[in-house]
Amino acid sequence: MAKQVLSFTVNGEPVEALVQPYVTLLDALREDLGLTGPKEGCGTGDCGACSVHLDGKLVASCLVLAMQARGRSVTTIEGLARGGALTPVQDAFVRHGVPQCGFCIPGVLMAAAALLAENAEPSEDDIRYAIAGNLCRCTGYTKMVEAISEAAGTARNRGSARGA
Amino acid sequence: MSTVMKTTRDVKGVGLSIPRPDGPEKVTGKVQYVADIQPKGLLHAQLLRSPHAHARIKRIDTSRAKELAGVRAVLTAADMPYLKKKAPTRAHAVLAIDRVVFAGQPVAAVAADELAIAEEALDLIDVEYEVLAAAVDPLESMKPGAPPVAEAGTEADTSEAQAHGSVSGVAAVAKPAKAVNISQQTTLARGDVAKGLAESDVVIEKTYRVPMVHQGYLEPHAVLAQWDTTGQLTLWASTQGSFNTRSEVADVLEIAENRIKVIPVECGGGFGGKIRALCEPVTAELARVTGRPVRYVMTRREELVAGMPAPQVIIKLKTGVQRDGTLMALDGEIIIESGAFSGAVLAVGAVFLASLYKWPAFEVRGFEVLTHKPSIAAYRAPVAPHTIYAIDSHMDQIADAIGQDPVAFRLRHVEREGEPMANNQPWASNAAYEVLERLAQHPSWKKRDEWKKSAPAGRLRGTGLSLGGWLGGLQPTSATVRLNPDGSLSVLTGQVDIAGTNIALAQIAATAYGVDIDRVKITTGDTDVAPMTGLSAGSKTVYTVGTAVLQAAQDARRQTLEIAAKELEAAVQDLEIEDGKVVVRGVPDKGVTIASIGKKGNLYMSKVPPVLGVANPAFTQQAPAFAGQLARIELDPDTGEVTLHEFVVAQDVGKAINPLACEGQMQGGAVQSLGIALTEGLMYDDKGRLMNPSLLDYRKLTAADLPNIECIIVEKPSPAGPFGARGVGEPPIVPAPAAIANAIEDAAGVRLTELPMTPERIALAIAAR
Repeated sequence: MAKQVLSFTVNGEPVEALVQPYVTLLDALREDLGLTGPKEGCGTGDCGACSVHLDGKLVASCLVLAMQARGRSVTTIEGLARGGALTPVQDAFVRHGVPQCGFCIPGVLMAAAALLAENAEPSEDDIRYAIAGNLCRCTGYTKMVEAISEAAGTARNRGSARGA
Repeated sequence: MSTVMKTTRDVKGVGLSIPRPDGPEKVTGKVQYVADIQPKGLLHAQLLRSPHAHARIKRIDTSRAKELAGVRAVLTAADMPYLKKKAPTRAHAVLAIDRVVFAGQPVAAVAADELAIAEEALDLIDVEYEVLAAAVDPLESMKPGAPPVAEAGTEADTSEAQAHGSVSGVAAVAKPAKAVNISQQTTLARGDVAKGLAESDVVIEKTYRVPMVHQGYLEPHAVLAQWDTTGQLTLWASTQGSFNTRSEVADVLEIAENRIKVIPVECGGGFGGKIRALCEPVTAELARVTGRPVRYVMTRREELVAGMPAPQVIIKLKTGVQRDGTLMALDGEIIIESGAFSGAVLAVGAVFLASLYKWPAFEVRGFEVLTHKPSIAAYRAPVAPHTIYAIDSHMDQIADAIGQDPVAFRLRHVEREGEPMANNQPWASNAAYEVLERLAQHPSWKKRDEWKKSAPAGRLRGTGLSLGGWLGGLQPTSATVRLNPDGSLSVLTGQVDIAGTNIALAQIAATAYGVDIDRVKITTGDTDVAPMTGLSAGSKTVYTVGTAVLQAAQDARRQTLEIAAKELEAAVQDLEIEDGKVVVRGVPDKGVTIASIGKKGNLYMSKVPPVLGVANPAFTQQAPAFAGQLARIELDPDTGEVTLHEFVVAQDVGKAINPLACEGQMQGGAVQSLGIALTEGLMYDDKGRLMNPSLLDYRKLTAADLPNIECIIVEKPSPAGPFGARGVGEPPIVPAPAAIANAIEDAAGVRLTELPMTPERIALAIAAR
């Protein structure tokens, strides 16, 4: 099969890559663009380790063909923190000691970021539901939920400070 | 400058909740795992796996696969003359020779320019099988006449048990001559069991079953292999022990260990499943024949079909007690299904079954049975969750039968320090009693009657608890602590950090030497440069490597003080390290900076030696660690669905070197334990084929299934551990199955004796009530 040109936006930058039409978005990101933050934990959309944002929506990049992203905008974990500073939720993950083996963390953070973009004041149940598509074997999720909850509070406080 | 001088008593080190230093790398996706490493010229490996559980290989034809453009190598066992038919371990059974013994066993290997080409090549390999009868059920496989799994004369593999260093003094028993699939057998006994049971008022007999479960690490097995032109092999491995991986690969490939460098790449979870070599030898061989770097990453399906899961365990348990609660006798049989290769930790089960509580007479017979399924490996406290599920389910039923409080009944009988375990070794200092006592003070235990009565219409509520633990592994180790010219410290070990242990080790070095944690850097070196160390397994990293780091830091401190003593013309015992300076005690303005001492150790023409603390301890004293868990549940009797409302872990960690990291272990272990209890199990059909080889059908608990896990840290110092620390990793995976079963009985009056306790099983049990 002939490779095709994939033009899309990745982490805010226009990107072109030559990919086989059967390649998944996950493989294109990892193998062709060197963005290895998204992980393959299952390849069947069950574990969430490959989660990225496609036009702002959370997707399992192992279930999306690379060519489906043509002309669209993809954000990976590498693009979550802009300008070198961690986002409040990333910072909370570090301080709460969330990452253990760390393999699920990029996916969980993309799910958390998608939640916080839609719901600035999530309840514990909202948070648990939002990351239910992300399997983690190390943490038992408790510190994850606490960190996301705290980050949501941080985001709220900053919002009100700006508004005042 | 601070006016308050810091002494070694209050440096920032042991006891603080310090986040792991690799946190920022992990939350930005920058940490590299094996699958993220892409050297130039990389080839991708794939394995052709047997679809049959037991079959003779009549013919393999790889010619069509070799002709496919982009294929660089196709290997079968015929290409590896050093492979042995009597392979003692999975690592040695690189590719099947003439018989496959489990569905998923590798038969051929391919390396190609692209993964898709390697996958396509697998379809072009023609294998002709003669399907043979398979031994699938362990109880059938134990019987004489069952289809044999191992080649006759293959030795049992007890290295896993030795690696965990858990139970000694247990003699093997010769197996019945015709039971070809019983690979190990032991009996532990004391007193007259028949008499004890005959004289008992209440005899309870149950059989408990726990299926095979997968360790579930999110990162599948992965390895990258490359040879250089001088015949040196480098392996980038996802492993729990780089030196052990090196030994296994050297043994299989029959090359010297110092020709192999294992670089332990960040390990995306192991939990016992990445102790033994699995895909390293075949990847190394593909790299050798192609002369190119070769990477092999297992798929999730391959992990579930052909990983190294925890064994199925069947425990037949019969106990007798007097009506006043006096324990009389215990008779038990533990059958551990090891799959196609031997390697189970057989004696742990017997020790926990017969000597967590004081049974005056007991007999426990243990059998390791081979079947035509993937061979097993350790999973966090191997066989302990299974055993505690049996004994602590039983303890609740006994207490109920004689009308006693389940906690008081356990506290009365739990064995204490110095009392003999089933293998006649004395119990080492532990806090089994204290942990259970602490858990029983929890408001949710005290208010269990109120909780039960508060159930809404159509629902049932219950509370259950359980006590379990781990004996603690031992393995020699070594570490160095170096003083740098700027006064900072570099700690070097070979220990793989799978659980946040590196920050704890750095904290130990900081406190032992007398500097703040931010002056300490810890590195896990590869097998060429790091001092030798063992596995990150058996809950022993902080206990053993922590001791090595403590001693090495003390050694570095001693050397530092001796150098300073000469400069200050003072006695070593009068010196103290405060705020980065060696000072004479009580004369704070007389001192030399440790930076100046470090600098002189690397100064041209200097007569001051570089400070290098070294320690290489071996160990004899275990430090058992116990966890108690409490579950408050609600269940729907029509659907059998269980909702967890609260889950509490009380655990003795000896000394919490880093409380944040301890909590992370306790919470993560608890949820793995709850998975074994409620949802997880590898399901095989009658041909030995896995029926749920995906994470959709192999159901792990998600955030939405769980409440916050509450942690109660208990600190009863171990006599020999660094600052009194004990192992933390394994105890929390042990108690939940019994705690949940006890909670279900409290809520619904039914006793679940088979895991996982799925809604279907619970609803059927309630319907049959």
